[in-house]
Amino acid sequence: MTAILIACVVAAATTESLPEPVRPFLSAKAKDGTKVLSDKDVEKLAQMPERTRQLLGAAVESVILGSADHLRILLSLDLPPQDMDLLLQDNCILCHSDPGNVRPRALFSPDPAKQKSNPLLDLREFVGDTHFRRGLSCSGCHGGSPKDESMTEAIAKRWPKEDERHRDRSWIPDFCTRCHSDPAFMRGFNPTLATDQLSKYKESKHGILLLREKDSRAAQCVSCHGVHGIRAAKSRKSAVNPQRLPDTCGVCHANPQHMAGYKTDSGEPMPVSQVAEYKASVHGKALLEKGDLGAPSCAGCHGSHAPMPPAVASVAQACRRCHALNGQLFDASRHKIAFEKNKWPECGQCHGKHAIARPTDALIGDRPGTLCHDCHAQHARDNALCDKTSARFRAALDELSSGRAEVAPHEIELAEKGLDVEPLSRAVTELDEALLQTRSRMHSFDLGTFERAAAPAGEALVKARQSIDTANADYRFRQRGLLAAIGSIGVLALAIALKLRELGRRRKGQ
Amino acid sequence: MSLYGWLDRRYELGPLVRFLQHKEVPVGTHSLFWYYLGGLTLFFFSVQIGTGVLLLVYYQVGEQTSYESIRFITTKVPFGWLLRSLHCWSAHLMIVSLVLHMFSTMLLKAYRPPRELTWVTGFVLFALALGFGFSGYLLPWNELAFFATAVGTDSVKAVPGIGDWLMQVLRGGVDVSGNTLYRFFALHVVILPLATFAVVGVHLLFIQRQGMAAPRGHAASRGMRFFPDFALRDLLIWLLCLLLLASLAVFLPYGPRIPGVEWELGRKANPLAPAYPGIKPEWYFLWVYQLLKEFPPHLLRIEGPQAALAVVTVLMGIWAVVPWLDRRASREQPSPAFTDLGVAAILFIGFLTLEAWDIGGGAAAQPDVRAVARACAILTLIGGFAANALRFAFFRHTWFVFTGAVLLQAALHGLAGLSYLAAGSIGAVAAAVGLVLTRDRPALAGKKR
Repeated sequence: MTAILIACVVAAATTESLPEPVRPFLSAKAKDGTKVLSDKDVEKLAQMPERTRQLLGAAVESVILGSADHLRILLSLDLPPQDMDLLLQDNCILCHSDPGNVRPRALFSPDPAKQKSNPLLDLREFVGDTHFRRGLSCSGCHGGSPKDESMTEAIAKRWPKEDERHRDRSWIPDFCTRCHSDPAFMRGFNPTLATDQLSKYKESKHGILLLREKDSRAAQCVSCHGVHGIRAAKSRKSAVNPQRLPDTCGVCHANPQHMAGYKTDSGEPMPVSQVAEYKASVHGKALLEKGDLGAPSCAGCHGSHAPMPPAVASVAQACRRCHALNGQLFDASRHKIAFEKNKWPECGQCHGKHAIARPTDALIGDRPGTLCHDCHAQHARDNALCDKTSARFRAALDELSSGRAEVAPHEIELAEKGLDVEPLSRAVTELDEALLQTRSRMHSFDLGTFERAAAPAGEALVKARQSIDTANADYRFRQRGLLAAIGSIGVLALAIALKLRELGRRRKGQ
Repeated sequence: MSLYGWLDRRYELGPLVRFLQHKEVPVGTHSLFWYYLGGLTLFFFSVQIGTGVLLLVYYQVGEQTSYESIRFITTKVPFGWLLRSLHCWSAHLMIVSLVLHMFSTMLLKAYRPPRELTWVTGFVLFALALGFGFSGYLLPWNELAFFATAVGTDSVKAVPGIGDWLMQVLRGGVDVSGNTLYRFFALHVVILPLATFAVVGVHLLFIQRQGMAAPRGHAASRGMRFFPDFALRDLLIWLLCLLLLASLAVFLPYGPRIPGVEWELGRKANPLAPAYPGIKPEWYFLWVYQLLKEFPPHLLRIEGPQAALAVVTVLMGIWAVVPWLDRRASREQPSPAFTDLGVAAILFIGFLTLEAWDIGGGAAAQPDVRAVARACAILTLIGGFAANALRFAFFRHTWFVFTGAVLLQAALHGLAGLSYLAAGSIGAVAAAVGLVLTRDRPALAGKKR
């Protein structure tokens, strides 16, 4: 009874605080006799700030928001007040989200599949769109004004005719860059956002295909960024967020039908395996599985608005953006000259392209099956210095890594015995760091540079072994100490036991 | 002039010596072993004092120094590792021997008049020992200790009315911080030791004045001279336990790796880091921890933890006043109901502790709670039936109301799948009905105790 009374009081207070035109909606009923607005909806209305309520009243009064059902749809979006304010001031979206007012093909719905409307007209996506949230509403792209109460001629004039704009998509880059190439205009929204996208795009493979060859299958702005529901790239929901980019690129590049007929620069059919290879690569796993945003996605090597296949001359520059030291070492090596002479891509020659795997020491050496041997057997056979260098690289790396595998498990074993493992931990950390440096210095392909890096690793391994010996000696000392304690306490205990036996005999005698 | 003569002239040692010469320990039908447990607890407490004082030489309390100093003690100080290991092992063994001492006192009915206050002081010592464990746990200021203390002190909020205030008093603020560390340190090395010395003194005084309790029905049996016969046996047991302690400290310096019985230092506490799953308190708090988990967030308009702690408080309260409740024992009559209460308490605590250890849950990170409850219920039922069978075989006990209720709860929860609370409620109703039905039937009371 008390609960019903409280509910009545709250309902009365809510009704009082809402603008007059909205109040009839509270009692509106659906065909089955139930209230259109649930108690939760009424609670949301009650919690609206004053300004939002006023805007709501104005929208209802102008009949743009014309039914309780329409209001229920808007409330179901659970928008924060500032976004609701934007929505209530935009007659375009208000009108196009009213199922009683527009045909399904033009209806923005929270669930387009259910309403059988255009999937691009997803109301939830639209209210999350970065343009909408910055106040650039429908009219920003479609023309007209948010205050328009009916379709105007200005709206029809802004875009090419429907059949034409779908057949030839080359108008899109120019359309988007009306704003995005205008630094003065963009400064008002995001001063750090680049405004050179169009000039880059024009020089890109996509741009050349679309703008010069009029191939509308080529990607343009909306192919990657979407239509309604565009978000900043840093948003996890954005199609161009680094972690979603491989799939976005894969929409075309992993689709054999879409890529049919396209050729690489060397004239071969364009492959469609890149995305799958990337996902299995060390970079793909780091970005997509470990969530390491430092790992490159497609745009990390190819660029975003000017995607081009990195040519042989420039592919290594893409790698150097992250692997700078290895690049410097390679530049000073004798391989640099040989690779240039043969026009080989530097890093890609050994590590591959999209399917770059974690390199292992097994790639190195002068035995058949190793990268060094197989390449030299073909291109630089019988070079004693090269064989000696690669053999030494492999021998040193094998020795250090097997040494590490030998000493590292002792850390846990000794710690469980309660021994001081700090010196061992320190030595293993030093060894890991030195091994990393040693593997990196291999890119100099110079024995002297390599040995200088390998020497600290060898010293760290010696230190690790010494610390294990010291800890084991300490443990043996503890065991001997315990034995001595057991011996002395045991003697004392035996003496007491003998005394007790004597006492027992004496008591019996008494 | 002998030293004894010199001292005797000044302090009149004669009465003390005569007291020691005539002091006797009763030898009943039961093993003398139970009489050594109090002394053994005192021995472990002495080890705690000794090792604790030595640890204090290097330990520096403080957010920036506690962890570092413990690390220094265990890695750099000669025999520092041994001191910490002995201190930790001895703490656990002290609680083991204390709990055994308490339950042996309970089952042998040694609390009966005139020794009611000895039982109460013993109960206070038990509470103080738990306080030592709780306060000492935080002092290394490592990750596990930090989060376990955060959870432990948080449960104090359940105290009605003053819960929040009490928690802040314990923590020295809203959160576990350096302030908590300071006050737990003060508690651990000053307040609790002083209180323990005082209560141990009173406990021992009572025992010296009244002598050790003879088993019921054996009041006039022969005795063993305390000095030197009993004292030497005491010393022998202490030495053997010292051997055990030293061996454990050397071979298992971080404990047996059972949740609640491990003290590896691990990483330093980071108040900003998120708590990780699977944090469990010391083994002797596990049953309370599990009970808190078994209660829903809200129950009958009060919060679940409040209800759980109310249950614990009522049970501990009953335990503390057992000497006054057991009127049959006070009349030197057999009192199997209280034997049954003692066994039921062991089964009740045992079942919850096994559940907290995820017995039967396999090696999965998130064990199947149903499988755990089933395995723990089966173990508890085996233990309970075995104990009651032994009681019937040796003492002709036929009063099993409390143990029956606990076993019924374990079966309903673990085997029939009822919630712990629903099964417990049915068990409690069954116990109440059993109590009413057997109230006026002393024939059920058993032949011996």
